Amino acid sequence: MPTASPKQPRLGTEEWLLIGATLCLLVIAALFIHSARYTTESAEDYPWFRQYYVKQIIFYLMGLTGAVLFNFLDYHSWARWSLVGYWGSIILLLLVPLIGFSAGGATRWINLGLFNLQPSELAKLAFIFMLAGFLSRPDGELRLVGNFWKALAMMALPFFLILKEPDLGSALIFIPVGLVMMFVGGIPKRYLFKLVGGVSVLVALVLVDVLFAPKSLQFIQLEEYQKHRLLTYFGMDFAPKDATPEERLKWEKIQRDKSYQSRQALIAVGSGGFHGKGWREGRQTSLKYLPPGAAHNDFIFSVIAEETGFIGSATCVALFGVVLFTGIRIAGQARDRLGKLLAVGVVTYIFSHVFINIGMNIRIMPVTGVPLPLLSYGGTSAIVSLIAIGVLHNVHLYRRAY
Amino acid sequence: MIAFDHLKKNDPHLRMLGMAVLVGLLILLAGLWWVQIISHHRHTDSERNQSYRTVRIPAIRGKIFDRNGGVLAENRPSYDINLYLNELRPQFEEEFMRIRPRRAVTNPPPVWKRWLGIETPKVELVRLSRQQRDQLTAQAQYNVARRVVDEVGQVLGEEIPLTPEEFRRHYLQLRALPMPVRKNIDATQLARFLENTHLPQGVDLDVEPLRHYPQGRTAAHLVGHLVKDTRSQPGEVASVDYRMTDFRGNLGLEYVFDADLRGRAGVKSVLVNSAGYRISQNVWVADEPGRNVVLTIDLPLQRAAEEALASVGPDVRGAVVVMDARSGDLYALVSAPAYDPNAFVPGISSAEMAELNDPVMKPMRNRATQENYRPGSVFKIVTALACLQSGILNETNLHEPLPNPGFIMVGRRRIDDEAAAGEYTFERAFIKSSNTYFIHYGILAGFKAMQRAGMEFQFGQAMSLPTRQNTSGTFPDPAWIRSQRESAGLYWADGDTANLSMGQGFIDVTPLQIAVMIGAIANGGTLLQPRLVQRVESPRGAAEEIGTREFPPEIRGRLSFDPEHLALIRQVMRADVGNIHPGPNRGTGYKAEVPGMNICAKTGTAENKRPGESRVDKKDVWFASFAPLEDPKYVVIVMVENGVFGGETAAPVAKKIYQAIQKREQSGDFPTSRQFANR
Repeated sequence: MPTASPKQPRLGTEEWLLIGATLCLLVIAALFIHSARYTTESAEDYPWFRQYYVKQIIFYLMGLTGAVLFNFLDYHSWARWSLVGYWGSIILLLLVPLIGFSAGGATRWINLGLFNLQPSELAKLAFIFMLAGFLSRPDGELRLVGNFWKALAMMALPFFLILKEPDLGSALIFIPVGLVMMFVGGIPKRYLFKLVGGVSVLVALVLVDVLFAPKSLQFIQLEEYQKHRLLTYFGMDFAPKDATPEERLKWEKIQRDKSYQSRQALIAVGSGGFHGKGWREGRQTSLKYLPPGAAHNDFIFSVIAEETGFIGSATCVALFGVVLFTGIRIAGQARDRLGKLLAVGVVTYIFSHVFINIGMNIRIMPVTGVPLPLLSYGGTSAIVSLIAIGVLHNVHLYRRAY
Repeated sequence: MIAFDHLKKNDPHLRMLGMAVLVGLLILLAGLWWVQIISHHRHTDSERNQSYRTVRIPAIRGKIFDRNGGVLAENRPSYDINLYLNELRPQFEEEFMRIRPRRAVTNPPPVWKRWLGIETPKVELVRLSRQQRDQLTAQAQYNVARRVVDEVGQVLGEEIPLTPEEFRRHYLQLRALPMPVRKNIDATQLARFLENTHLPQGVDLDVEPLRHYPQGRTAAHLVGHLVKDTRSQPGEVASVDYRMTDFRGNLGLEYVFDADLRGRAGVKSVLVNSAGYRISQNVWVADEPGRNVVLTIDLPLQRAAEEALASVGPDVRGAVVVMDARSGDLYALVSAPAYDPNAFVPGISSAEMAELNDPVMKPMRNRATQENYRPGSVFKIVTALACLQSGILNETNLHEPLPNPGFIMVGRRRIDDEAAAGEYTFERAFIKSSNTYFIHYGILAGFKAMQRAGMEFQFGQAMSLPTRQNTSGTFPDPAWIRSQRESAGLYWADGDTANLSMGQGFIDVTPLQIAVMIGAIANGGTLLQPRLVQRVESPRGAAEEIGTREFPPEIRGRLSFDPEHLALIRQVMRADVGNIHPGPNRGTGYKAEVPGMNICAKTGTAENKRPGESRVDKKDVWFASFAPLEDPKYVVIVMVENGVFGGETAAPVAKKIYQAIQKREQSGDFPTSRQFANR
């Protein structure tokens, strides 16, 4: 790849569209995290510094600082540390079952005192760097089957570690990110088609096994809650076919309880209508029909959609669209394959999160614990998302000169 | 789009990525459009359904007044102590944490801690299964509620029962509504409750209207009573989640005028959160208070009539009708024994109910309108009119004495006469109530004449009083004869005419029917419809036009008898009471005489074998009267079951009533009825 110009940042050419859209999303997030927590916090007299939206703003400031600092150094310099970052995050993921703490049946966090680190979020970014670095080699090498398998292994390692937490949603993110980066990077299509085909067949088999096979023939043992989420998504009865009427009643109750979140989220979004009920006026949130533990993080989009209606939810989607398409343009203008792959990785990473999270709010995706980047409450997610945007911008600043 | 200008030229991979992202975002937008715009209403409905509970609030029931504004039925405030569960939620949680099982940690602390000596015994909460957790939560909630209820009990000075099951039921089914702790506290308790400044949290005093009958047993049959009700009325919001206790009229005026009295129930909506607790409430449909019913009854007279009837003896069973002879207005309508309609509110005990269902006393029956009695000698008025109309009795033989051996043979049957043997003119026969005389002339006049005369008075037809306590009685009119012939093979014989002539056999009447008959004789031939209800008026009073309904006096019919004959009957009725023939020749009703009233009457003593009574040793006695002779205003009918003789048992009762009427007239506030019947 011809690189004529020296690696100097092209200052004065900051991507304001990207920055603007990001900041807009941050403001929306702060507003609606406040709204989602308002009933609880005002009822229990939270001091201002313990209120979630204040904490989130602090995370944003940390993330923004990180993103700005990130831009002072060329992405090539950062990419040299990718191996360290990748294995560091793998070690953290290995540490999670040992020193992490659990909530809701899953062990996903490490308590750092100030906030809870979610290593799976870090691993996503580290993986993007790692894979981008790995794929930045001559085209000829990419055609070797060995390298394809290596790339696949890079993807599989964090995937399985996160799957064991268990956190199916976060684990699944690695698949589109990895595949898209390999595709854009130049791994031959036939490999990818085989992979995608193989994975599809596998997924189909798993689904058939989980959803239709009798108990004795279920080879794949999903966590009970994962199975229930899938059953809910496909609108199937929890009760086994040979259940007695009493058992069936019991299962129906469990089913109602399990599909509760998903149903309430849909009601929240739907009852928002065209223009919404107004900020802090969402009854689904204030009456706690949306579970208070999830409204400000995984289901923040339901809160936004309920209170601002289609106008607000479409605006959010549009803002993400601006970030994503700016990202794709940045990828196209990148100086080299590394920059292009970094940008593509970040775009896919953000897009997958957005699609899965918003999708589960309107029931076109099953409920998985995937945060909405930039909007969901959560320290690690906020900081990592902002640094990811920083990576995009870095690729932009050190882009190719024409 | 800017992004694509560049991509088209050189990078198909990125272009595909861009397309994929674009398609993805469009899918999201389409999904949002579908959920938020297309199916908006469905989701809004679900949201409403889960966050609102509707509660039906009954309207305040209308009052029942007598003709002077005296209150027969009203509402008094019931002070209820309620527990608002949503305010107890923090306490529920505290109590749950308190009773949650704990255990000391058994595994030893790490070596370095022991080495440093910072070893502290650790206690942790025991993990609970879902079922245990639910059980413990229920226990904690009950503990808190029990504690609060006990505190309230201490304030009120009584033990308030609350079983875990009761509490659980309310919590599961009616969580959004306050839980009643103690209903209807008395004045002392109210004072103690209001004085207490340290009431437990969540406790509040609510006021609810409760039906009250300040007159107790007085006019109880007319007013009727209420029973609990769970049905919706037409014109209301039909489907509500919760219903407050409501009552509906079950008998009497409360029943017939239920729709007016009840008004229209309102609906309030309660906003509940996901735990089902009440957050706020507002009124959706305001209730419409019920209308008032104004009667023709005069309360002082009603009370006097009841006392008069009670003076006969303990456990008296009988009826009194006091009616205006000119308009048909009922001043008093008494049935004894009575019951206290207050017993039905808020609910009646089974012991009280058993008493009300006593087969002999039958306190729920309105004996003035609902029970059949033989009229006995009172019916001789009809016999006399039949004879006069048919000309069997006329100017020539009216004063001609008929010898009476003390009995009369009808076919091979001997009928004894209560009147002594001797010579009887019409007047003497009437005031001595001679069976021989009236049977003799009754058979001469013939059954047809008797039947025609009886039908003039509309015997065998119900009086359709708006209490739905009417019975039609029995009269051998052609339709009855036909049906009896078909069903029982009955052929009318002279013996039957003989029985009918003295008010026995195939005839049953109600005291109210006799009142109408006497009224027609008194006013010169107009059969009046007894009027009980003057009007239904708006709760804001009679001045309010809307919702006010008048019930003007009505006429049932006119008698075709010769006015002279009616005048003659009035004359002999007067002779029955007034001491026109003093000493042994006086009339049977002399014990009713009130100076200045000029009372006219006919007594009656009827054999009436009722089910459950083996012998006819006591008789149903009558005193059917009006007054005064020259300008009849009042009709007073007294009927007592198991009396001795009409003149002996019933006449003194009537006397007391006439004295009360006299007193009412003298007091000046006795409103005169609208002149209606013309003589």
